[in-house]
Amino acid sequence: MRRAPSWPRHAIMIAVSVLMLIPFYWVLKTSLTGENIYAYPPRIVPVDPHLYNYVDVWYLIPFPRYLLNSLIVTAMAICGNLLFNTAAGYALTKQFPGRRWIVLLLLSCMLIPFQATIIPAYLITAQLGVLNTHLGIALPLLSTIICIFIFKASFESVPRSLIDAARVDGLGEWRIVVRILLPLSKSAVATNVILTFIWSWNAFMWPLIVTRSPEMQTLPLGLARFLSVLEDTTGALYAFVVLVLVPGLAIFLMAQKEFIRGLTSGATKG
Amino acid sequence: MAGITLRAVRKSFGEVAVVHGVDLEIADREFVVFVGPSGCGKSTLLRMIAGLEDITSGEISIDGRVVNELDPKDRDVAMVFQDYALYPHMTVYENMAFSMRYRGVAKDEIRRRVGHAAKILDIESLVARMPRQLSGGQRQRVAMGRAIVRDPKVFLFDEPLSNLDAKLRVQMRTEIKRLRERVATTTIYVTHDQVEAMTLADRIVILNHGRIEQIGTPEEVYDTPATVFVAGFIGAPPMNLLPQQDVLMGVRPEHLVWHSGSEAPFLSGRATVVEPLGSDTLVSLDVAGTQVIARLPPKLVRRAGEEVALAADPANIHYFDRTTGNRR
Repeated sequence: MRRAPSWPRHAIMIAVSVLMLIPFYWVLKTSLTGENIYAYPPRIVPVDPHLYNYVDVWYLIPFPRYLLNSLIVTAMAICGNLLFNTAAGYALTKQFPGRRWIVLLLLSCMLIPFQATIIPAYLITAQLGVLNTHLGIALPLLSTIICIFIFKASFESVPRSLIDAARVDGLGEWRIVVRILLPLSKSAVATNVILTFIWSWNAFMWPLIVTRSPEMQTLPLGLARFLSVLEDTTGALYAFVVLVLVPGLAIFLMAQKEFIRGLTSGATKG
Repeated sequence: MAGITLRAVRKSFGEVAVVHGVDLEIADREFVVFVGPSGCGKSTLLRMIAGLEDITSGEISIDGRVVNELDPKDRDVAMVFQDYALYPHMTVYENMAFSMRYRGVAKDEIRRRVGHAAKILDIESLVARMPRQLSGGQRQRVAMGRAIVRDPKVFLFDEPLSNLDAKLRVQMRTEIKRLRERVATTTIYVTHDQVEAMTLADRIVILNHGRIEQIGTPEEVYDTPATVFVAGFIGAPPMNLLPQQDVLMGVRPEHLVWHSGSEAPFLSGRATVVEPLGSDTLVSLDVAGTQVIARLPPKLVRRAGEEVALAADPANIHYFDRTTGNRR
C-alpha cells in the first residue's frame, strides 16, 4: 500500500509553528527597535536595531534585584518540588491503609482554584513569620499535586525487581529513591523542573500579596511596576519581557525532550 | 555459609492464605530447589526468606538467627531475579560493585572481588558495558556475578532462567551447575521447570497451593512420589494414573514397554496420537476411557489407529489413595 506523502502534514505544522512564533518575533523586534506597534503597514524586518532598550531596563529600574529575587524563589520552589514531590510520589506507590483516600483528596484539591486558597495561605505564611521573604513567596509553590502524580507514574513504571534488588543490596528507602528511582525518572525530574520554573517564574498574584518592599519583588511584579512608572516605553517594556522570557525558554529548550517524555509517560505501552 | 530453618511459616494477603505453615530445614551449602506450578507460593516463600515479603506467622532462621524482623540488607542474602534486575543506569562493573559500596568494602577489595566473579562467569570483557548492551544470557551472568561478589550466606534464585530461550536455558543451567562446584554456598532456587529442579537440586521441595507436597532428592521424588500431585508434576510426560476401585495406579511413560510375551498385557489399546521424537516415540492410547502415554523405542508404532499392547514391571507401579491422593 502506498503511504500518503508527508509534506502536506509538514507544511501545515510549519505554518502553525510560524503563526505561534509571530508574537515572540514581534516582541523581540520591537524590543530592538522601539518602533510604534500600531504603525501601518507593519515592518517585518527590524530597521536600525539597537540594544538601548535593554540598557534602559537594566539601569532605570532595579532589574538585577528583581531577577535575583525571581531566581532565588524559583530555585527554592524547584528544590522544594523535587524533595516533597519525590517523597509523596514514592509514598503513593506503596500500599497502605487510606492510600486511596489520600489520592482522592489530592485529586480533589487540584479542583480548588489558587485564588480560593489565598486567604488561608496568607494567614499561614503570616503565622510562620515569613511574609515579605523569599521563603514566603516560594512557600505555596514548594509542592504541586500534578507533579506528585508525575513522579508517582514514573516510579511505578520502574520494575519492582529493581527496588527489591536495591533492598537486598542494602539500600534504605531514601537511597532507593535517590540512587535508583530518580536516575531512572529523568523525564519526571525534567517535567517537574520545567513546570515549577514556569509557575514560579510567572507567579504574580501571590508575590504581590506577600511582598511589602520593592526589594523583595520578583520580575512579574517588576514588570507591572515598570508599566505604571514609565510612559511611552514600548521598546523598553518589550525588552523587559524578552529578559523575563529568556531563562524559561532556555530551560525548556535544554530539557524539552525529557519534558515531553515525562508528560506522555504511561500514555503508550512500552 | 549457613543453614536455613523455616518453622510453620505462613503468608496471607488479606483473607487469602498463599502459604500454609511450611516447615523446612536446609543444611549448610545445600542446593534446594522449590518447584511447583504457578501460584503455588514458591516465589512468595523465597521472598519471605529474602525479607522482601513480611511473614504472617512462623519463624525463619538463617545461620541459627531468627530473621523475621530483619531487613533484607541485614540477612546477608543475595538474590538473582527472573528479569535480572540490573540497574540500567549503571555499567556492569557498577552493578556488581553496588552493594559492596554500601557495606563499607574497600575499593581495592571491590575491584578484586568483581574481577574474580567476572573471571568465574567469563564476563571480564563486559564490565564496562551498560546492561542494555548485553544479551539475555550475558545479563543473567552479570546478575549472578552481582550475587557472587557479595559472598553472602545464602543465594536466592527466583526463576533465573525463565526469560531465556530454550537453548540458552540449557546452557545457563549447565553453567549454574558448574558454578555450584566453585562457589559452595547455601542456595534456594525457585523454578516451575522440573528439568531444572531435577538437574540442579540436592533436594527438591515440591509445593502445591502453598503446601509442601514432598521434600526429597531428585531420585526420591521421581522414584517414590509421595502424592498424586508429585507423580503428575515430576516427569515429562507425567505419570499415567489409572483409576482402579479405591486407588489410582500410576506408571511412568518410560516404564511402559512393548509387550511381546504370550501372557496378557498390562495395558492395551488403540494408539490415538503418535509423536516420534527421534530417540524414542511418544504413543498416546486410549485405555478404557483413560488417556495413557508410553515412551517407546522409535518405529515400533508408526501411526495412530494401530493396536498397542504394553507391559510393565510391577516394581515400577505406584499406588495412590483416590481420596487423599497419598501414596499407599
